[in-house]
Formats: sequence, C-alpha cells, structure tokens
Amino acid sequence: MTWQKYILAFVITAAIFGTAFYIAARLDAQRIADIRSTQDAISIDILSSETQFELLGSLDCRAISENPVLSEELNTLSAKLSVAEQNLGTGNDEVTLLKKQYSLFEIKDYLLLRQISQKCLNFKPVYILFFYSNAGDCADCSRAGDVLTYLRATYPGLRVYSFDYHLDLSALRTLETLRHVAGDKLPAFVVNNRAPVYGFKSLQEMQKLIPELKTLATSTATTSAGI
Amino acid sequence: MDVGAAGLYVCLFIALYFEVFLLISFFEKKPADKTTERPKHYPSVAMVVPCFNEERTVAKTIESLLAMEYPADKLEIVVVDDGSKDGTRAIAEGYAARYPQITYFYKENGGKYTALNFAIAHTTTDLIGCLDADSFAAEDALIEAVKEFENDPAAMAITPAMKVYRPRKMLELMQAVEYTFGIFYKKMFDNLSAINVLPGPFSMYKRGVFEQIGVFRHAHNTEDMEIAFRMHANGLRIVNAHTAFVYTTVPQTVRALLKQRTRWSQGFLQNARDYKHMFFNPKFGNFGVLVLPFGLVAFCAGLYTAGYALYRVVSLVATRVGDLYATGIPAHLPDPAHLSWYYLNTNMLSFVIIAVLGMTLVAIFLGSRISDTRLSPKSFVAYFALFGLVAPLWLARAAWGAILARESAWR
Repeated sequence: MTWQKYILAFVITAAIFGTAFYIAARLDAQRIADIRSTQDAISIDILSSETQFELLGSLDCRAISENPVLSEELNTLSAKLSVAEQNLGTGNDEVTLLKKQYSLFEIKDYLLLRQISQKCLNFKPVYILFFYSNAGDCADCSRAGDVLTYLRATYPGLRVYSFDYHLDLSALRTLETLRHVAGDKLPAFVVNNRAPVYGFKSLQEMQKLIPELKTLATSTATTSAGI
Repeated sequence: MDVGAAGLYVCLFIALYFEVFLLISFFEKKPADKTTERPKHYPSVAMVVPCFNEERTVAKTIESLLAMEYPADKLEIVVVDDGSKDGTRAIAEGYAARYPQITYFYKENGGKYTALNFAIAHTTTDLIGCLDADSFAAEDALIEAVKEFENDPAAMAITPAMKVYRPRKMLELMQAVEYTFGIFYKKMFDNLSAINVLPGPFSMYKRGVFEQIGVFRHAHNTEDMEIAFRMHANGLRIVNAHTAFVYTTVPQTVRALLKQRTRWSQGFLQNARDYKHMFFNPKFGNFGVLVLPFGLVAFCAGLYTAGYALYRVVSLVATRVGDLYATGIPAHLPDPAHLSWYYLNTNMLSFVIIAVLGMTLVAIFLGSRISDTRLSPKSFVAYFALFGLVAPLWLARAAWGAILARESAWR
C-alpha cells in the first residue's frame, strides 16, 4: 500500500475542483464583460436619443415617437443582470456597480420619455416604475417581476423600469422621494405617474391597474425583461 | 453556499477522488491482453451449480460448463439442487444420466451457502468454482482462470469479468453499462489487492481457502461478499481474471432489480458491521483503508445526493407551480432569447458534475476495452437516464433493512 498514491489522487482531485472553480469564475467574468459592453451600447443609445431630441425639439414628434426611446438592449440588460446577480450573489460589488449604472440609465430613459410625451401630444407612452427588493424582505417581488416580464412580452410598447429599492444610489433615492414610494410595503408600482400602488398583483389585477394597456398592440413575440 | 450544496460538494469530491484513484491504478498497471497461451498444468476442478427453481436457465448453464475448453477428466460438474419445486430436478438428473462428469445432488432447501458447502464437502478437487444457474461462462473462461492461478501462485481465489447476457430492455441495457464499469473497477481493485466480492457467477477458489478459513456462511444472504471479507481478514489473496468472461442474466423489472440490489447493498452494510475492525486498519492494506470506508461513504453519499436532488426538484416544481397559480400567467415556453450561453447554469457545481460524469465515462470506456464489450449508445442513454433514479431506491431500502436488522430477500 502506497500513501503517495492516496496523496496524488487527492492533489489531482483538488486540481480538478480548482479548475472547475476557475472556469466558473472566468465565465462569470465574461458575463460581467458582456453586461459592460451592453451598458456601453445603451449609454451611446441614450446619448443619441437625447441629442436627437435636442436637435429636433418638438418640430418632428413623429420622427421621435417612431424611434423607441427604451432600447432593446435595456431589456436584455435587465435579464442579464438578473442572471449575474443569481450567480455572483446580491452582495457582489461588481454586480452592485452594474445595477447602479443600469438604474441610472433607466432613470435617464424615463426622464427622456416624459420630456417627449410632454412635447409631443400624440405620443402617449404606457410605463411602470417597479420598485422591488431582494434583500429577503419581499417574498412577492419575484412573482411581481414575473408578471411584469410577461406583460412586457405581451405588450412590446409597455415600458417597465425596475429598481432595487435598497440600492444605494442618490438619484434613485430622489426618484423614490418624488414618487412617494415607501419601502416597507414592496413591491410598489407607479403607473404613468399616478400614485404608487403596493403589494403583489396577479396578471389580471395588473391588467386592471393599467387600463392603458388596451391602447397598446399585443405581440406573440417575447422580449426579455426581469428585475 | 447553503449547507445542502456544501454537502453535495463533499459527496462529489469523494466520488471524484475515488475515480481518480482508480485511474491512477490503471495507468500504474494496465491489464494484460488476452493470449492464446495454455496453462502448464490442468488442476482438477469442481464447478458447482447451486440451483433453486431454475428450470428456465439451468440447462444452458450446464451446457456452458460442458462446452468448457478443459480436459473432461479434470472437470467435474456438481449440480446441487437446493430443494427446487419446479422442473429443475428432472432437467439436471437427465444431464447427470447422460454425462458421467456431472453429479447431481438434491437436498432440503437451506439457502445458497448450504448448497455450496454441500458441494465442498462432497468433492476433492484442487479448485472449486461456482456458477450460478442464471449465468453462462465463455468456453475459455476456466482456462483463463487457471492461467491466472498459475501466473500468481499466491492467488487463493479468482473473480471473472462479468457481462450482461443479451441485454435488450432498457433496464438490462442500464445494467450492461453498470457491469462494464464494474469490470474496470474490479480490475483496479485487483491492482490494489482489494477485491471486495467473489460473485456467484464463476468465482474460483483453491480448496485451501476453505481448509484455512472455513466454508461459506449465511452472511446476510451475501455469502460471496462475506467470504471475500474473511479472506482479506486472513491475508488470503483474491485476483481478477479479466479475460475470463461470464455472462449473467439480469433482472428485467424494477421490482426484481430492487430486490436483488437491496440484498447486495444491505449485505454490504451488515458485513461491513461484522468486519468493522478492518476499517482504516493499514494491516488490511487498501481493502481496509480505501475500499471498505469508501463503500460505506459512497452508500451514504449516494443517499444524500439523491435526497438533496429530490428536495431541490420538488422545491423547484412546487415554486413554479405556486408562481403560476399566484400570478395567473399562462404556462409558456422560455423566452428563446434566453437560449444563449449566458443563461446556462455555469456555476462550479456544474463543472464538477461534468468532471465526475466524464471520469465515469472514461472508466466505462476502459472497462469495455478490458473486456472487449461493445455498448450501444442506447445503453448509455439507459444508464444515465435510469441509474440515478433507481439506485437511490435500493440504497434507501437497504439502509432501512439494515437499521431494522431485517432479513433481505433472495428473490
């Protein structure tokens, strides 16, 4: 009986575990890089939209409203961030930073949307500000996110801006204050700037909450969304 | 990481460690290829066929022994009927009347080990072999076993390479892969001098084994395992003849498979308890330090992994059903956009599982090369789809039986 073989087998097994850890970490890093690249694209999209708006002003509302303000990348980013958060954990600094950037993009997009809707009277967007928490204090937030994901897939014109209520971001704090959103009754929904509505809402309840959905075209194609 | 997942990592580490250990053993000493060489001497052999209600297969078993490439005057076929109530007696007596080298005995039913002991007491040959009445040996199997005894004079018992006889149904195909995997690890256990069982189909013993350590015991209906334990306890060497092929019929129904495997697994637990003094004892070599402890740990790890997987699947399904009910969202297929690599589960656990499965495939491949066995893709599908589902059932039943000290059933 040779003890060396026992030790060698242990070393090789540990090395395989180490390799598995390394590959998983590399793929997670790749995911983060993927998110960054999407965020860079969104940053340019938003800057482009702002510039377009400033160039055209209210002179050509049709041209503005035909180009969706919320880029498709923002939807994709939401789903990707959700996966990264699941894999790396909610406390991961990198994920938190990316979420902050994503939230800022959403706020900018939301402000731009409102500006356009104020100037272009024919442009009547339907949007929801969705405030959730994944700090373990909101059991229904995930289900609420599922309902909104489904609605967004069904109504491509519906804009959903989802925010982690507890994210330490001053711009988000300001938005929460402006919209009078309390953090102790999450999930919270602000539909088209109306007063916040709290608590989980099923698909049917949510459809009643947003009567404007009837004005939107439906689609069988699904788009990614999430919290 | 939650405690459940941490436990799973421990189980996977142990499984991987064991597979790596066996692979190292393989590269240290690769099994020799089969040769046409003949033995220098032909010792006298008694092949014992213990049978109980085996009218379906006993004739084929006897025929396979008659067809053995071995001098007829050196080969005695001893059929011990352990109180059969079916047509076994008529078939075996018919053969005994026609062939002088066949002896038939009928005795009161007392269990397989009593039939084997009966044959040991009524024979005087140098070697004693056993061939269950549901198994058939290759024509050169005896020659190969005798050659192994010649190559290793210290060998006191030989185990064969067991294959599944004509696997067709999914459950048989699953077992065909499992037996091929078994051929690999049995050979590696041989490299480690730590073979843990002398299976009923075609294990061969030098008569000296029984003179030194006594005959077979009841041993919780696993006398073939107990005698291997007892041989290790007494420093007697067991060798694997990987070129001696024997084909066995395997259970075709889940019920029969569970009964057989529960008996094996429960037998291991109960024999391990009887021989607990050998655990981690370097005096008993790799058998005491690796094979026995690993067997017990693998048993527990298998149960834990199955329990954890079941818990996760049930939780996931319950959550999804609860979500669909609460949200009112119609059931729908996942978003096709989520089919990219990004959304795949690529955590460390996934890669560790891939490594364990990869090592298992390597072991099966080596087993098939050693034994010249061809496995169809369907066999692999059956193995990977079914084994994980049925194995935990017999592990759980065996654990329950061992806890209650309940007798496991033969059939």
